[in-house]
Parts: sequence; C-alpha cells; structure tokens
Amino acid sequence: MSEKIAALIAEVEEDKTLEEVRKALDEGTDPLSLVEALRDGMSVVGDRYEAREYFLPELILAAEIFKEAIALIEPRLQGDNIATKGSVVIGTAQGDIHDIGKNIVATMLRCNGYDVHDLGVDVPPQAFVAKASQTRAGLVAISGLLTLAFDAMKDTVDALAEAGLRDKLKIIIGGGPVNEKVLEYCGADAYGKDPAEAIRLAGSYMG
Amino acid sequence: MKITKKLYESDTMTAEERMQAVINLQVPDRVPVAPLIYYFAATYAGITNSELYNAGKYNRAMEKVFYDLGPWDALCFINAYYPEIAACFVPMRVREPGRDLPADSIRQFLEEEVMLEEDYAWIIQTSKKAPDLAYSRLLMRWMPRIWDHVGDGWRAYAYMVPRLVDNFVRWKREFTRWNRLGAAMAFSFLAEAPFDDFSMARGLLNFARDIRKYPREIVEAADALVEGYLSSTKIMAALLGVRRVNLAVHRSSNDFISPDTFKKLSFPSLKRLVEGCVAAGINPILHCDGNWDLNLETLRELPAGNVVVQFDGASDIFKAKEVIGDRICIYGDVPADLLALGSPSEVDEYCHRLIEEVGKGGGFILGTGCELAPNAKPENVKAMFESVVKYGYYGK
Repeated sequence: MSEKIAALIAEVEEDKTLEEVRKALDEGTDPLSLVEALRDGMSVVGDRYEAREYFLPELILAAEIFKEAIALIEPRLQGDNIATKGSVVIGTAQGDIHDIGKNIVATMLRCNGYDVHDLGVDVPPQAFVAKASQTRAGLVAISGLLTLAFDAMKDTVDALAEAGLRDKLKIIIGGGPVNEKVLEYCGADAYGKDPAEAIRLAGSYMG
Repeated sequence: MKITKKLYESDTMTAEERMQAVINLQVPDRVPVAPLIYYFAATYAGITNSELYNAGKYNRAMEKVFYDLGPWDALCFINAYYPEIAACFVPMRVREPGRDLPADSIRQFLEEEVMLEEDYAWIIQTSKKAPDLAYSRLLMRWMPRIWDHVGDGWRAYAYMVPRLVDNFVRWKREFTRWNRLGAAMAFSFLAEAPFDDFSMARGLLNFARDIRKYPREIVEAADALVEGYLSSTKIMAALLGVRRVNLAVHRSSNDFISPDTFKKLSFPSLKRLVEGCVAAGINPILHCDGNWDLNLETLRELPAGNVVVQFDGASDIFKAKEVIGDRICIYGDVPADLLALGSPSEVDEYCHRLIEEVGKGGGFILGTGCELAPNAKPENVKAMFESVVKYGYYGK
C-alpha cells in the first residue's frame, strides 16, 4: 500500500494518490506510515525535478497533492507527533506578494520533515524575528521575486542580527533574481536557485 | 512619422533603420540599444509609481531619463494609461500601487482563476463562428473577472472601448514625440501568446493540472485564437505605424514548462502567429522571460531574418547566439541585479562582452534584462547606454 502511494505521488497522479490514501485510512493503515510514503514519493519528485525530467508543473502539482493528502491524514494522527528535524521560518520579503516559489519550498521542507512556520507574503523584518525567536528556528528562508525585495531581505538579515539571533540560525534566500551578488548584498548565508537547492541547504544546516 | 534625426554624430543610420537592419540580420552602423523602462522612470524622476498613469507625468519622467542618461535607439514600452488596458496584455488580477499597495510599490499579479476550465471549449466554439473576433471577445469575457468594477457582456465593451480609443490616441502622440527626438519605438502592440495567456489566466496550479488533463484542448483553443490575434495585430500596427509587435511568452520558458511541453503545447500556435505576422510584413519580438536554453533548437523553425528574441538574463544569451543567431535577431540582456547592485565598470564590462560576442556580425539589440529595475543605479544605466557608442560601431 505504502509503496503504491509513493509511486502514485511520484507519478504526480492527483486523483489516484488521494483515492489510495483514503482507502488506506479506511482500512486502518498506520497514518504515520502514509506520511512516510508520501515523503518517499515526494523525494522522487524532487530528484526528477533536479534531473530535469520534471519541471514546475509537476513540482507544483505534487506539492499540492502532498498537502491534500496530509489534510486527509492529519485528523487520524491523534496526537502522534511526526518527528521533526527542527523549525524553519519562511516568508516572502516585505513589499513583495509573490508566493508560488515560497509555497513550493515550504511544502517541500514540510515533506522533508521540518516544522515549517509560513508567515505568508509581504512579511516585515520584525515578524521574521518574532517567529524565529518564538520557535527557536534553526533556519530562516526569505523569498522574493522583485529586485525591490533585495532591500527588505537585507533589512530582515540585519533585524535578526540586532535581535541577537544571527549566530543561532542560518538564513537562506531565494527567488527569480536572487544570485551570488544579491546574497552578498543581503548578508544571508546562502541562496537557492530552485526548491531542490533550498532543501539541500536546509539538510546541510539542520540535518 | 519618419525619423530623420541621428542620435550620435558617428551614426550613419537613423534609429529606425538600425532596428530594422538588425532584425533582418544585416550589419548596421552600430549596435542599437533599446531598454524596457517603466517604474525606473518614476524612481528617477521622483514621482510615485501610481503617478505613471498620468500621461503628462509619465512622459516627462521618461524624457528625463532619455535626456539625462540616454539617448536610446528604441523604447520598449509597457505603459498603459488605464490599469484595465494593461489587463488586455496580462490577463491576471493585480494589486496596483496607490490603490492596493503603497504608491511607491510596483504592480504585482495574483495567481487566481480568470479563465475557467470551460473557456477552452468556449474559445473553440466562438472561433468557429467568427475567428477574427474570438480574441477580442475572449478579453471582454475575462475583463469583468479581472476587474470587479467592469460589468459583463455589452457593459464590458462600453467600459473598455472608450478607454482603448483614448489610450491609443495617447500612444500615438507619445510615439510621434519619441520619433521627433530621433528614437524609434521597439514595437507597436503588446500581446501575450495564447498558450501563455491561458497559463496566466488559469493560474499556475490549475494550468499544471490542465497540461496533464487537457493537452488537446489547450492546443486547439490556442490555435483557434491565432486568426483573432493576427487581425488585431494588423490593425494596431497600422494605426500606430510601427511594423514590429511584441509577443510575450512569459510562461513558456523552461522555468515554467518542459521543452517537450513547449514544443507540443505552446509552439504550434506561436509558430502560426509568428508566420502570420511575417507574412503581413510585421516583425514579432518574442519577449522570452526565464530560461529558454532547452527551447532554443525549436525556435529555429521560425522564419529567418524576421524575428527577434528578447532575453532577460536567465537564458544563456551567448549560447543562443550560437544556436539561433544565424536565423533570429537576439535582444538583451543586462540583468536586473547587475544594474541594481553592480558598478558602472561591471555593467560596461558585461555590455562590452555582449556587443563583441552576441553582436558579432549584426543581428543584436542591446537591452535591459526584462524591465529596468526600479532601483537600478542611474550611473549603471548610463554605462549601459554609453557602451554602444564605446564598443558598438561596426567596422571601426
């Protein structure tokens, strides 16, 4: 059952994956094993994306299927805690309301076992600081599509430093125009050019 | 209006002649430079972004950039005098500066459903009855879904037509003024290619599903719009007097779709559209945002010596010169981050390389990678314009 679910989500089969998850739940399958299966499938999707077998449509749709499936499974978890690799705060920089890239990264981080706190779009630096401090986050991920977001990213990095959190966590940035130059300007730790790289960075920082 | 003025003393061609020469893959007197400018003009002139809808303020701001930092050979314009008109070119719901966002913010698009699933069938049916009108009827069908204050049916026409006419009169005046200053217009009409229109109007998630579920409908509906696109393109080019058009393909790069999806779902209607324009004596400029590296080979099928491909810094423009440079004029691609964060000498160095390598043998227009970043440094912008005078003359 689990293997079938992993294979279906890897093939980006929305209806069939959800149908199979429902069936497994009805049959009393351990919900945590279903979450594992979905994660396995998603990691295949990530690999295929990196190998350029899959492109954005597959990635975005697989992330959606994962979210839908988790929504089905969650009520059955009954306090079973999904072990997490630590807490990540993510959001789109202040002044920017683009959320597609940020949402994909958030979902991919979730399915890779991180406790993700998504602050949404147009997030002021202080909101990043407050959430990072409250959740003892190991990683802050800032997204931005506009060149205007560079300043907001820099402000956020500065605000985290002012709050004394800079050496307690890592900061990564991402989004269309983000590159080495922008990284240097903002003073973050690293940038990811695609969601797969964001996941790899999270892995290297937090395990 | 015919351009008579020369921009620089060493020029032997007018800006218009230069643009046309490179499109036809001939060697001009020097490399033309054609920036895409909108929000930068507001920042530079010290007005708010929302004030760019005011014709007087917009034009004064643009001319200030031209006089202070330019000149340029051709302007790649994206201004509309009404937000509703802008939706004809990008059919998405928006957040506008000064209305939904702070006045100094920039317009941002929302990934929401403007086109319904049933619209594929509607397009196919409608175009069977009146192929020439299908495209404009589709825009009017979408308009009330984009703007809450625009009614549907005849109300959409009643709202849009007077604004379109007024917008046209203003564009025409604007074009004439630029021509008088010696600058050409890069193109006369903005439209999004049908496949890309669907991607934007459906929203990414819906469209990701559609690509898997309804590939045949996408191709058929996109193809059904070609005649309508061509008829409005011909009218606009004739009215505005520039026989180049902008054909945006925002959602066909490999950042959005696979090269295979491009070839099978996006390219068939794009190719027919391009061929139709060329047959009518109109040169299309494909605005290719994102990374097109894996689509380049497919572009070789487009008619030679009549098409421009504009890159934004995400594609390998040097590789593009090798793969398509013998058939297609290449346009671009000084990246936004370089202009915003780099130094004038870095900009100069990059432009020099573009001119030497991509400009080799003609067929090249120097331009900003997509829109000139609002926070670009003026000294960097100036360095870009100056590079065509420093390095751009052929045979010198």
